[in-house]
Amino acid sequence: MPAIELDGVTKRFGDVEALRGVDMEVREGEIFGFLGPNGAGKTTTIDVLLDFVRPTEGSATVLGHDAHEESRAIRERTGVLPEGFDVYGRLTGRQHVEFVSEAKGADADPDAVCERVGLDPEDFDRKASGYSKGMKQRLVLGMALVGEPDLLILDEPSTGLDPNGARRMREIVREERERGATVFFSSHILGQVESVCDRVAILQDGEVVAIDTVEGLREAAGTETVLTVNLAESVEGVVAAAEGVDGVESARLSGATVIVRCSDDVKMDVLTAIEDAGGNVENFDTDEASLDELFAAYTEDEE
Amino acid sequence: MSDDSGGAAGEGSALAVLDDALREQFTWYVVAKKEFQDTVRSKGLWVLWLVFTVLFVTPALLVITGFIELSRQGQELGTELLITDLPGANYLNFVTVFLPLIAMFVGYAALTKERESGSLKVLLSLPFSRRDVIVGKVIGRCAVVATTLAGAFAFTALLLVSSNITFNAELYGLFVLFTMGLALVMVAIAVSISGAVQSGKWSLLANFFVYFYFTFVWNSLANGLGNLLNNRLGLGGPLRWQLTLFVKLLSPTQSYKTLVDSMVIPSDNGQRLARLEMFGRNADRGMICGDVLRGNFTTIQVQGFGNQTIPRQVCQAGQQSVPVYFSDPAVFVYLVAWIGLAAAISYYTFDRVDL
Repeated sequence: MPAIELDGVTKRFGDVEALRGVDMEVREGEIFGFLGPNGAGKTTTIDVLLDFVRPTEGSATVLGHDAHEESRAIRERTGVLPEGFDVYGRLTGRQHVEFVSEAKGADADPDAVCERVGLDPEDFDRKASGYSKGMKQRLVLGMALVGEPDLLILDEPSTGLDPNGARRMREIVREERERGATVFFSSHILGQVESVCDRVAILQDGEVVAIDTVEGLREAAGTETVLTVNLAESVEGVVAAAEGVDGVESARLSGATVIVRCSDDVKMDVLTAIEDAGGNVENFDTDEASLDELFAAYTEDEE
Repeated sequence: MSDDSGGAAGEGSALAVLDDALREQFTWYVVAKKEFQDTVRSKGLWVLWLVFTVLFVTPALLVITGFIELSRQGQELGTELLITDLPGANYLNFVTVFLPLIAMFVGYAALTKERESGSLKVLLSLPFSRRDVIVGKVIGRCAVVATTLAGAFAFTALLLVSSNITFNAELYGLFVLFTMGLALVMVAIAVSISGAVQSGKWSLLANFFVYFYFTFVWNSLANGLGNLLNNRLGLGGPLRWQLTLFVKLLSPTQSYKTLVDSMVIPSDNGQRLARLEMFGRNADRGMICGDVLRGNFTTIQVQGFGNQTIPRQVCQAGQQSVPVYFSDPAVFVYLVAWIGLAAAISYYTFDRVDL
């Protein structure tokens, strides 16, 4: 049974079509990255999963339950870090966690939650009105973890977090997957998704334009490694030699530098071929196509 | 909660048992509890208590300080007569105008504020239905106002007991009950409106409209409806007045006023007279007294100037009592029924919208 299943979900707000026939399946136990630029419809999709918003067409199933009809059953087993949320300013962090614990009938240890998300214990007993954005983010992430949910839905979880906080968040995401939970998290920053996600979907203008593993997407997008080789001096024939290697897309010479675009696994073959052709390699540098470029490739195609 | 002493520990565990039982029984309970915990920490709550206290303690203070002289009879009958018999101003009208206004102010942003800040998303991502949220919010806010009012009433009672005015505990208790009823109804309506609209601005507007309507327009509308029935449908007679009275009683402020009125009229006929008081000079008082309220409408001679006697029409107790549906308990039910009605309408709306 998939953890999340969207089937032709369309959502219109008046004249604006926020989602256009979104089909997506998130498997149980995976970390699923939901990527897209701001305004692509990520939050609307999550709102549909949580029954905050009802789809105009199509259906959504979460943990085997209909997102609208059986929303409560879903939310009993789901931890959520929503986007654009706020906390209750007059309650302390601890009271927030206790509230969630009561709501879910869980027996969570507030102090353990506090430590896990890296909140200062002193802050934890202060009113949340004084919290920074990052502290609120940590608190609500902690609240989402209460009761060992089967599914975590995290909407832009790194917002407001410093690099340490973002790293801690990714660690928690991995720990939760280890525990057996499914993690669905959205982001417009690809670097955060790249390192943790098993699979990724890219949403653009309310449509899923790609859904695959990070490696799969990279291949599908047709991007590859750029190998920059600095030679001691310019040598005739190195370009032809490099181009002769299987898996090389192009090679060109710029002064004493050879720039080769090739697939990742033939880098050493290219270097060997250049040396064989008389090139004296002083050093080289590889630049793997980042997901950012990949992402740009996808979203630019759309425009 | 601290469990330092034996007594406190016993109390604490009893509370814990109650807490568990309520949580098991009602899915809205956790929302209501959070709402209460959150709101009682507001500094505005002290202001609210002060406003309530000033509102209820003023007539007693005026008498105690000798600013207003109460007749011996009034003094004996008890302070509650202050409510209606305070010379110079109709205190009850004052309460009826101000209490709903304060109550609505407490409730109007209950849901819109959460919606605008985004905490509603946190709340609704927990396993609460939207009904739980509306019901929990209404009950939580009502509990806050009830606690604050109770504080104000307790303070007023203390003042009365320590003064030379007779303190009639039963009457005072009824006044507290009715006043609580009105306040809670208005809070419930305000919270419900805030659940049914999209923003705080709209909630404020809608609340003010409802307040204005109940307080100043409803009564004329009820009278107008009676005229309409009579003129257009030829529906005269007792049925016209029955319907008119019923519609009048559906306004929370009207039902509150007539409840307090009947409470302070010291006779068995009090309920009847209080209902009759809801009609103006143009009404057929004879028919209302006799046919609608089952009283005895007669003319008696009262002492005028000198030896003159003047005839006066009065509504006296008859063989039968006031019909159940116009009696005080029924009117109280109509009053508090608004809490459920408002919440139901609010839920119906809130359940259908995208957040």
